[in-house]
Amino acid sequence: MQAVNLLPRDISVPPMLRENPGASVSIRNVSRSFDGNRVLSNLDLEVRPGEFLSIVGQSGCGKSTLLRLIAGLDKPSSGEVLIDGQPADQSGDRLRIMFQEPRLLPWATIADNVEIGLRQGSDPKAIHEALTSVQLSEKAGMWPSVLSGGQRQRVALARALVSHPSLLVFDEPLGALDALTRLTMQNLIRDMHAKAGFTAILVTHDVAEAVALSDRVIVLGQGGILHRVDIVRVGPTSRGSAELAAIEAEILDAIFAA
Amino acid sequence: MSLTDSLSAARNRGSGWRPSLPKPEALLPYAVPAAILALWEIAGATGLIADTVMPRPSIIVGTATQLALSGELFTHLGVSAARALAGLVVGGGIGFALGVANGVSRLSETLTDSTLQMVRNIPHLALIPLVILWFGIGEGAKLFLVALGVFFPIYLNTLHGIRNIDPHLIEMGRAYGMTSRQLFRRIVLPGALPSVFVGLRYGLGIMWLTLIVAETLSASSGLGYMAMKAREFMVLDVVVLSILLYAALGKLADTLTRALERRALKWSPAYAGR
Ligand SMILES: Nc1ncnc2c1ncn2[C@@H]1O[C@H](COP(=O)(O)OP(=O)(O)OP(=O)(O)O)[C@@H](O)[C@H]1O
Ligand SMILES: [Mg+2]
Repeated sequence: MQAVNLLPRDISVPPMLRENPGASVSIRNVSRSFDGNRVLSNLDLEVRPGEFLSIVGQSGCGKSTLLRLIAGLDKPSSGEVLIDGQPADQSGDRLRIMFQEPRLLPWATIADNVEIGLRQGSDPKAIHEALTSVQLSEKAGMWPSVLSGGQRQRVALARALVSHPSLLVFDEPLGALDALTRLTMQNLIRDMHAKAGFTAILVTHDVAEAVALSDRVIVLGQGGILHRVDIVRVGPTSRGSAELAAIEAEILDAIFAA
Repeated sequence: MSLTDSLSAARNRGSGWRPSLPKPEALLPYAVPAAILALWEIAGATGLIADTVMPRPSIIVGTATQLALSGELFTHLGVSAARALAGLVVGGGIGFALGVANGVSRLSETLTDSTLQMVRNIPHLALIPLVILWFGIGEGAKLFLVALGVFFPIYLNTLHGIRNIDPHLIEMGRAYGMTSRQLFRRIVLPGALPSVFVGLRYGLGIMWLTLIVAETLSASSGLGYMAMKAREFMVLDVVVLSILLYAALGKLADTLTRALERRALKWSPAYAGR
């Protein structure tokens, strides 16, 4: 599958020298309670610039809560969340979020929806580039209602990428898609991450997805991190290989041990 | 060559050419009214219905022509339309503004909504005696009644539209750094618009109804006045003409609103391809 570069073409840049090397995320001693009900307690987590981190765990364990704290949509009850050393809500367009639903404005064209991702008004060239990178440039003038679910989620991805963020957080972005579209989207996200170099944090229910995309997977439960797995890739590992299957089994064990 | 033949021949000439006559299907909605008019005319002409009970269409057309030539018709028509428009702008404007204010501000809603809900239960036409005492029978009374009648549907539907905006979209807007102004202009307003249109079309119905009642009660110009004066002198064709003109004005307002709605909501799947 051909994904279009967000960086100038045919220039391979080592991650540390990229114009946009990705943000670091520091979560320090963070707790979050809802009406006295403690969902996250004293959680510590460091995410390196350019890392692809996945968060898995049982339903209701606080994955979305943690992600909302990282995205600055919510404040911790105690502790702090820093992105490149600054509070999350000051990240502006360097931090972008993708939700389970595309959340496109039905009354705005595809191009206008992507434009929302730009802080500073319209930039037709940037919008065109972002839409091309998700292979939807020919739909720019259409209404979201005529697109398929997968296409809408690709528009949402273009909207998230158009400002060239240094941190992209995803809350089950592919949960509502069919299995085939999901695989295509996974490849798209992986290619984008490899080329654009942003830091990515993905919440997912799909352990195979987490393993296929990430450098590291953490298992969340009982208010904290139950398990961490580093996935070191030496050369291309294909889906369904024995190594990956073993890692998946290990993660599943950790989830159900909770 | 019959009409249908020539039409289908025209259509076969290719898609680039548009027939100057409407398609037969487009005329279908007018078939029943046309038949009724024809029967009515025949019943009148044969004496089945006396012209003193219900004047037939040709007589009414004659009267309309006469009144149009003397200019009297347009004066009354203009006065009524202006009253309707003024009431719509005042009542609709206030209703929309309050609906927006109460939709976005808790404080404003707490302060005003329960009061408005109470007032809403009073049929506005029940206020006529009071309104006449307050404003006399001048323009003020009519403007007040029409504005009050239009106010509620537009207020309620604007409020409902804003309340029912997907909170996920608002959250997305916030996460993407929209200011309150941008949130309002790009998400709240367009999201509430379909509901505002429902209120507007409902309000238009109430607007004409209120105007008819107000004008027949007390006025020195306007369609209602024309009808009442004609009743006193037993000029039945003018009475029927006024009624028909009210119907035509109502239909015109509705058609204009529908066209506006189709333009403004062209993104909605409900209007796609229409
Ligand atoms: N705004 C809120 N008010 C009250 N309780 C909340 C709120 N948000 C989350 N919670 C509670 O916090 C807990 C964790 O919720 P969260 O949405 O983070 O779970 P999750 O891991 O994302 O689950 P899922 O996998 O089903 O999406 C739940 O018990 C939920 O009821
Ligand atoms: Mg969740």
